[in-house]
Amino acid sequence: MKKILFLLITFSLTTLANNLNEEHQHSHHQHHSHEGHMHEMLVDGKKLEVDPIRFDRFVENLSNAQIAVVDVNGMVCDFCARGIEKAFQKDSSIKRIDVDLSKGKVLLAYSNGVEIDFNDIKKKILANGQNATGMKVLKI
Amino acid sequence: MGIKILFLFFVILSNNIEARPISYSGGSTLMGFSDNMMDSIYYHYSPTYKYSIGIESVQNKYFNENYSYIRFTYLLNRKNTQTSQRNLYFQSGLSSKGLDNYFYGVHGDWETRRWFLGFGLKEVESAYRNYSDKYYQVGVAPYLGEYGDLHTWILIKTKVNSLTNKTSTYPVLKFFKGNFLIELGYNNKTEWDTHLMYRF
Repeated sequence: MKKILFLLITFSLTTLANNLNEEHQHSHHQHHSHEGHMHEMLVDGKKLEVDPIRFDRFVENLSNAQIAVVDVNGMVCDFCARGIEKAFQKDSSIKRIDVDLSKGKVLLAYSNGVEIDFNDIKKKILANGQNATGMKVLKI
Repeated sequence: MGIKILFLFFVILSNNIEARPISYSGGSTLMGFSDNMMDSIYYHYSPTYKYSIGIESVQNKYFNENYSYIRFTYLLNRKNTQTSQRNLYFQSGLSSKGLDNYFYGVHGDWETRRWFLGFGLKEVESAYRNYSDKYYQVGVAPYLGEYGDLHTWILIKTKVNSLTNKTSTYPVLKFFKGNFLIELGYNNKTEWDTHLMYRF
């Protein structure tokens, strides 16, 4: 009886999780602008390699800004990336923060004119236990 | 005697089911554990991502006894890659019941966004009886959620305890969203156990 109850709860919770995830993905598609496609822009001849939907949503309504796309090793779960967001939230020069788990990127939006210090970014990410290995900056 | 052994089995289970024993630099974590034998609340603070210090308050329902552990966990080794993270931790605790009541051990994990492998080895020294405990865990994420989504893991855990000398294998479900995490484990010997975590 208890095993059956456990299986039922397992099935219900997994189904619920899948539904929530599908709703979230659907919401992403609804908000995805097909104009501009910022994610397709090249920085120093290289692609940004970001989740296109997430990135375009991130830059929506941003102007006169520069986007730092930071490559991070070890960022394999949402729970372990929380500290990264918290660390950058304390930096007043950052306008917007996001984490792209699927591509292992941290997205940081700065105002134009702010000098982006990669060493400082590396320190903040290392304080969370991960390693920043590279960065591309895109001006919009 | 048998019930005491079973109780110790529960205590071990509560210590091993925890996840993420160290937070980010300056981060705090509050955990709660409950089953039919005991309730436990564990708070730890991480001055850096390499170690955490904390206190665990244990309410023993069976013996109607309260005691605490001062706990210290240290990250011995971490390997970050683009798609995975591997960790090896040293863990220890000193009981309020006296200097001859403590535990120490290592536990480790390797995970990608899809797969999880973990193990733990622990030695418990107590006035009652010394014993050791081992566990192995494998898990899979049925879907890959994005940052901010509800994340789900389905895990199978195997434990070997030197007191009972029995191997116990049971399923564990883990859910987390934002700073909240919940784990539910079921075993026909231990019945339900629940583990809650909030990180701040």
